[in-house]
Amino acid sequence: MMSEFDIMNISATGMSAQRLRVEIVSTNIANAETTRTETGEPYRRKVPVFAEYLKRSMDGKIESAGVKVVRIEEDPSPFRLVYDPTHPDADENGYVRMPNVNIVREMVDLINAQRAYDANVAAFNVTKAMVNSALQIGRG
Amino acid sequence: MFNSNFYTLKQAMDVSLLRQNVHSLNIANVSTPGYKRKYVAFEEFLKESEMKLKLSKTNEKHLIGSESVAEPLVLVDNTTTMRNDGNNVDIDYEMVQLVKNGLRYQVLTRLMSLNIDRYNAVLRGVR
Repeated sequence: MMSEFDIMNISATGMSAQRLRVEIVSTNIANAETTRTETGEPYRRKVPVFAEYLKRSMDGKIESAGVKVVRIEEDPSPFRLVYDPTHPDADENGYVRMPNVNIVREMVDLINAQRAYDANVAAFNVTKAMVNSALQIGRG
Repeated sequence: MFNSNFYTLKQAMDVSLLRQNVHSLNIANVSTPGYKRKYVAFEEFLKESEMKLKLSKTNEKHLIGSESVAEPLVLVDNTTTMRNDGNNVDIDYEMVQLVKNGLRYQVLTRLMSLNIDRYNAVLRGVR
């Protein structure tokens, strides 16, 4: 049996997962033109992988307790080729390998994450109102 | 000594809390690939249990059996798909249900308070 506070924790897992997603999207946007990284390759777009967070409860049953980010993966899609012979990282044909980040896609993802975060906040507020009203029982 | 309103309201509040749990889970997993929405089935069972025959008591020493006539069940909706990634959470539906459920819970707590007030009125002998 869960308590009100477990429900609040569920909303908290949702909020932190979406916040991480916003952070990763920001990193992608900031590095949209980065042609050099530690590996020597251009920057690869990063993607968070979400999974349902399953937890074993006190009575041994496995129950869902929200969402978690299992790992942050790199998008394996090919780099963008831009013709710019003046660029220091251009190859012998004048092409520069640019990161596989699509700004428009990242912006859509950003708004998605923000809306999902708002939904979790709203769920938390409703739970809080429920606890508050339960505290008023018997107070006349 | 107490009437059954306490028990009935308690069960209704428990189911409401379970629903809150399930809606929060669905909202938290709105961007999880392959996640299927969960829901609570209770009213169906309540109707079913009304139709069941109850044991009658012919002696006051007979046990009344379990008072709990229906238990809520958390089910997974595997029948639909909303998006390409297999997730089937409808965020608007979940939000509306969540807010409705929260209001219902507040009504139940008010009813519980009124139920207690009735006993207080009798105990104090004043209104």
